[in-house]
Amino acid sequence: MEAELQPQEERSPAPVVGLSLCDSAPLLWRLQDLKAVRSEGLVGALLGSLPRTPRQNVRLGRPLLLLPEEERLLGERGGAAALPAQNQEAAGGELQQRYTEEQQRSFEEQSVLALEDRKSALVRAMTSSSGSDPASDEALQHRLLDLEQNFSFPRSALAVQLSTARAGLSHCPEARAFLEADWPIRAQRCPRREARFQVFRDLRGRGFFLTSAGKFGGDFLVYPGDPLRFHAHFIAICLALDESVCLLDVLCAARLGSNVKKTVLLCSPAPDGPVRYTSLQWSGMV
Amino acid sequence: MGFSAEGKQFLLPEEALYLMECGNLQVFHQDLPLSIQDGYEAFLSSDSVSLQQYQVFGHLKRLGYVVHRFDPSSEPSPYARQLSLPRSRDRGRRQLKRKRSPSPAPTSRSDSYKTAAASQAEEMEEEDKLPESHLVASAAPQTSSSGAAGEVQARTWWPAEVPERQAGQRSAPGSQRWDFSSICFPDLGSAGRLAPLDASLLPGGVTPGVCDVAPWMRRINLRKVKMSPKEEERERRQRRRDVNKDKEVQRCRNWAEYHKLLERRQAKRQGRPAHLWSGEVQPLHDPTRPISTGEFRPDPRIFSSRLQKWMSLCLLRLKGSEEWRICFNVYQPDSVADFKKSNPGKPYARMCVCSFDGPVPDLRVIKQLSFQSGDVPVVYAAVDHGDISFYTFKDFQLPRDVYP
Repeated sequence: MEAELQPQEERSPAPVVGLSLCDSAPLLWRLQDLKAVRSEGLVGALLGSLPRTPRQNVRLGRPLLLLPEEERLLGERGGAAALPAQNQEAAGGELQQRYTEEQQRSFEEQSVLALEDRKSALVRAMTSSSGSDPASDEALQHRLLDLEQNFSFPRSALAVQLSTARAGLSHCPEARAFLEADWPIRAQRCPRREARFQVFRDLRGRGFFLTSAGKFGGDFLVYPGDPLRFHAHFIAICLALDESVCLLDVLCAARLGSNVKKTVLLCSPAPDGPVRYTSLQWSGMV
Repeated sequence: MGFSAEGKQFLLPEEALYLMECGNLQVFHQDLPLSIQDGYEAFLSSDSVSLQQYQVFGHLKRLGYVVHRFDPSSEPSPYARQLSLPRSRDRGRRQLKRKRSPSPAPTSRSDSYKTAAASQAEEMEEEDKLPESHLVASAAPQTSSSGAAGEVQARTWWPAEVPERQAGQRSAPGSQRWDFSSICFPDLGSAGRLAPLDASLLPGGVTPGVCDVAPWMRRINLRKVKMSPKEEERERRQRRRDVNKDKEVQRCRNWAEYHKLLERRQAKRQGRPAHLWSGEVQPLHDPTRPISTGEFRPDPRIFSSRLQKWMSLCLLRLKGSEEWRICFNVYQPDSVADFKKSNPGKPYARMCVCSFDGPVPDLRVIKQLSFQSGDVPVVYAAVDHGDISFYTFKDFQLPRDVYP
């Protein structure tokens, strides 16, 4: 495993990604973390509403939920760290002050923009209705002057932005980028989880992208490249080598795979290292 | 969405988080707005709403459904459903409002008769058209909604849990129930006097007298009803038989009993005596029709319905497991069904959230949840790292043909 990671490490040190736990699930919130994780080949799953179009389910937004195998892989190579919890940094007063300053600045900017907007609307309205003659030009100038003097941007019309990631972290990004890569390995030690992780690490090492495949009746969906560009080729089902499988289960898996036009891979990590793969493809009667 | 308690509007954590994600709500904590990340970490936990439950909630809300939390105690009992009792969600608050007025106004009383529990005596009171002065005297101890006199009575009607709601619990407006055993309605149809009032219930200075209804009863039903010739013919036929002279009919005290008597008579006529067919255990085969043992083929539908009844009786005694429970009621959006916050109606489906990592629900769990849900289908939402699949189990009738 080390040999495969060497070339990557020589290029640039892999960035440390900040994870935060929500209801014992590892979530990624910051944009740079998502990019880093995707560039490493870990796909994860987006859970939240997309800020621009919140009322649809086709494209979701941050946070990104990691598979337990992905989380463990990140932890093993030292790339995961815990994001600081709320209110652990500077005293609340400082944050509050920063917040009110920001609000004031945003208010001023927005009032200037609103005034510009109203002026241009007025000019458009007046020049479109009448032609261009000096009398109406003067009237226009008068109106613009009036508008400038009497315009007030109400506080209630201020557009506020709700930040996705925790606000304290984005305030001074360069200071927060350095995180201690000390994410503990939380995996439960059961043979099934162990088998899954071995298979995941092996397939990831070969360059495949993996996502979860619960709705296909398997453990992982294996893509030859980025899932956004390819369809999955395999459904990976992880079994221990000495586990006995009922033939009906094998038949179920094979039927499912052939119905969705994917090859079923039965994967078993051998105790001496390499993972053994058996593929099932539905062919006709010989 | 949300609920109001103690005069303030509250939002549930999953609703608040959803509105934050849509960009419609800002939540402040210690004068700073919460980010979405803060919201997730603060609102979602295994005690309140888990992350998986929130995923299902958000998915359904984004599709447009109305999703409410499921409250098992607010489900009407099968008896209440049979009667199609109106859901008494706002009943308590409306009652309290009327208590503040000093004296019972005549206009409010007609409302109180309509909104109080339907009962035989109520209908008879309305039909008798007793004048209002008598209604004041006679109705005050019975109905709780009119006037200050009702306050003491009102308390006994509702189960004791209503005033002792903890602040932490979600207020359950549907849990106010009428305690029918303590409500007594006078039988004004029978001639005679009404019981005198308890002086402690009336405002000071008013002494109750004895109420003599005889002269008033003579004055009712005096208007002639105009009937079409067909109706007159029907009346003449009925008068000839005079069902009122029948002793058994006279023994019936209300319409329900009369209907039961008619059913019994009809059943006897058809050769299905009550002692055999109206109990829990019924004969599999009609004993009046002789059949040999070899030809006996019991109806499989009877077996399945008996089995279901037996199983539901068993399930009532088994305690539910904490792992599997119904989380949400899902209603279709306003344009399709009529949904009102005060009267949501029957939900479209009920959600139980599980995951592919966990166990598959076994038969006991399925039966328990569908029994708890009543006639609304239970949908299992299996969450798998961002993908949600919905499964439901439908009852299936085996085909009826049985070949030898």
